[in-house]
Amino acid sequence: MSNKTITRDQLATLLDRLVEKNRVIAPVSDNRGVVRFGEIQKAGDIAWGFDQAKVPAKSHFLPQTEELYRYDTSGGELKIEPVPPPRPAVIFGLHPCDLKAVAALDPVFDGAFKDVYYLNKRERTVIIGLSCRKVLPTCFCRSYGIEPTDGQGADLMLTEAGDGYYVEILTPKGEALIRDNAPLFSDAGVAEGRRAKDALAGELAGQFQLNVDLTGVKAKVDTMFEHPYWQELARKCLGCGICTYLCPTCHCFDIIESHSGHRGCRLRCWDSCMFADFTLHTSSHNPRSTKKERVRNRFLHKLSYHDERYGLAGCVGCGRCIAECPVNIDITQIIADIEEVD
Amino acid sequence: MKTVVDNLRREAARLLAGDEVKMVIGYAAGTDAARTTPCFATTPEQAALLTWGPLCANNLVKYLLDYRFEDTRLAVVVKGCDSRAVNRLLQDLQFPRQRLVVLGVPCGGQLDRASILSEIPPGARLQDIEDTGEDLVLVTDKGRLSFPKDRFLMDKCYRCETNMPVVADFLAGEPVPSPAREGFEHTAEVDGMEALDIADKSSFWDNEFSRCLRCTACRNACPACSCKECVFEQAVPGWQQSGIIGSKVNSLPENAVFHLIRMFHVTGRCVDCGECERVCPVGIPLRLLYRKVLKDARILYGAGTPGMSTETVSPLSEFRPDDPEEFM
Repeated sequence: MSNKTITRDQLATLLDRLVEKNRVIAPVSDNRGVVRFGEIQKAGDIAWGFDQAKVPAKSHFLPQTEELYRYDTSGGELKIEPVPPPRPAVIFGLHPCDLKAVAALDPVFDGAFKDVYYLNKRERTVIIGLSCRKVLPTCFCRSYGIEPTDGQGADLMLTEAGDGYYVEILTPKGEALIRDNAPLFSDAGVAEGRRAKDALAGELAGQFQLNVDLTGVKAKVDTMFEHPYWQELARKCLGCGICTYLCPTCHCFDIIESHSGHRGCRLRCWDSCMFADFTLHTSSHNPRSTKKERVRNRFLHKLSYHDERYGLAGCVGCGRCIAECPVNIDITQIIADIEEVD
Repeated sequence: MKTVVDNLRREAARLLAGDEVKMVIGYAAGTDAARTTPCFATTPEQAALLTWGPLCANNLVKYLLDYRFEDTRLAVVVKGCDSRAVNRLLQDLQFPRQRLVVLGVPCGGQLDRASILSEIPPGARLQDIEDTGEDLVLVTDKGRLSFPKDRFLMDKCYRCETNMPVVADFLAGEPVPSPAREGFEHTAEVDGMEALDIADKSSFWDNEFSRCLRCTACRNACPACSCKECVFEQAVPGWQQSGIIGSKVNSLPENAVFHLIRMFHVTGRCVDCGECERVCPVGIPLRLLYRKVLKDARILYGAGTPGMSTETVSPLSEFRPDDPEEFM
C-alpha cells in the first residue's frame, strides 16, 4: 500500500472512531500542563500542540502499577484468577525518540523469558508515530542517530504537512488500520507531503543545540568501573526516581502483594535503581550501598550494559532526565566527562 | 554579586588550603544558562568553580546528612531560607556544630526556572548576571535577557522571611534588600484553602495526589527528612507490603498517605525552604500543605518558622510535665 494523507478533521474522526473498539492512548495534559500518555475518550482530549510528553509512552506497555493476578484462599483452597487479556489499543503521538525507546524495551521483555503482560499489550497495540515539530534545548536524539522525523518502530508515521498530515505506512498492522478506515485517508497530496517531511527534517536537523560524540564512549566507560569520577558525580545526586521514572527506556520493577483477609492480588510496580533499597538483600547487605554505586550503575546501564545485552543503545537522547533532574545531573555532560577523564 | 563570589571563593580556598575543612559544598555553573549545579570543592583550586547568584535555588544543607557519620569538617553555602535548615539539623543533633562551617550569602531572590526558561534562546551560554535593582539580567552569548524581579522570582521569595542567613560563620557580602513583596501574605493561600468546603478540598488534593509519580524527590530534597531509614522504605518482603504504609503502588490512596504522612512528619521541622515544590516534576503545590502545618503550629503553639534560631524548641519535640495531653 502506498503512503497517504489525512486532514486534521479526518484524523480527529479516525481517533474518535478508534475509541469505540480500542483503548486509545495519546498525550494528554493535566490541570498543571504536565503532559503524559493517557487514555482518551475523544480526539478533543489530546494535548494537540504538545512538544514532548513529560512521562513517556512506556507507561502504556509497562504501567507504573499493574495487576498480574488475583487470588482467593477462602474455603481453604487456592484459586488464582488471571487478569483478562488487554483490550486492543492504539497509541498515538510517539515522537521518534519514544519510538526508539519502545524498540529498546522489546528485547528486555521478549528475550529468553517472555513477559506476557508486556507482550500482550505490545502485540495488541498499533503505534502511530508523530514527527517532532521542534527541537527542544534538551533534545539530543540526533547524537544517537535518530532524526526527529524517523518513523522506525511505528506502524504508521504521521508528519504535519499543510493543513493535514502525511501518513507513512510502515507495517502490516498500520496497513490494516488504514484499510479498515480507508475513506478517511486520501491519495491526494502525497508527493507534497513527502516534500514537506523532507523539508521539516532538514529544518529540524539544524535546530539541535545539544550534540554529543559517542565515539568510543562505551569502550572508555567499560574501563571506568573503579574510577573516582563516579564518587564525585554521585555527591550531588539526591537519590530520587525522577530520571528513571521519566526515562523512556528504564524498565525496572518490583513485585509486591496487596491482600486483605483471604483475597489479594499480585502487583508489578515501577522501581528505581536510584532508590537506596533497590538492591537491599534480606541479610541487610546491599551491594549498591551508596549513591556512588547506584549512580554508576545507572550510567553504565545507559551507556554500556543495554548495548551489551541487546545491541541497542540504552539512551535515546530524549533529554527528559536533563530537563527534570533537580540537581542538574546531565547525561550529555557525563558523556563529555567520560571522554575527558584519565 | 561579583564581590560575593570573589569573597566566597577566597574563603573556600583558604578553608581548604589550611585543611580547616575537607570539602566546601556550594554552587557551580550549570549545564544551561538558567541554572547552577551543586558543587563539592575539595581542593583550593576547585574553590574557583564556586559561584553565587539568583540561579542558586537548591538548598545544599540536605547534603550534610550524607556526611553526618564521617569525622570530616565541612563548609556549606547557605541563603537565608536554607540557613534555617542548618539550625534544624543542629537542633536534632544530625550534624555537630564543631564539624561545620557555615558560609552565608546575602540573597535578593531566586529566579523561577520554569518562568525564565522559555525566554532563553536554546543553547545560550551564561556569561554574567547583572542586578539593576529592578531587574536581573542574564548576560549570555546570545544576548542580554532581562527579568523584572517583580515577575520572575520564585513564589517563595515574595514571601521571604529571612533573606540574610540566620546562622553563618562567614558572610560573603553586605546585606541586600529582601525580595519579599506586599500582598504576598504568608498564609493567604492557606486561608483560601481552609475556606473551601470539605468536598472541594478533597477533590483539589485528590487531583494533585493522583498526579504524583512517587519519585520521592520531595522527600529526598527535604532537609527536614533526616531519617536514615524512611517509614516509606521499610525493608519488608514483597508479600508483606500490604501490611506497611507506603508500598510502591501508585494509586490515589497510597499517594495521599505518602504526602499526608510526610506532612505530619515534618511538622515543627519544615523550614519552608520550598525545595519539595521546586523539585516536583509534576508541579504538585506541596508548600501549600506544609504552610498549613506551619500556620497551625503558629496558632496552636505560638511557634515561628522552625530553624530561626537554635534556642526555640519545636513544639512537637518539647517535653513538658504539665502537658495537657496525659499520655505524653
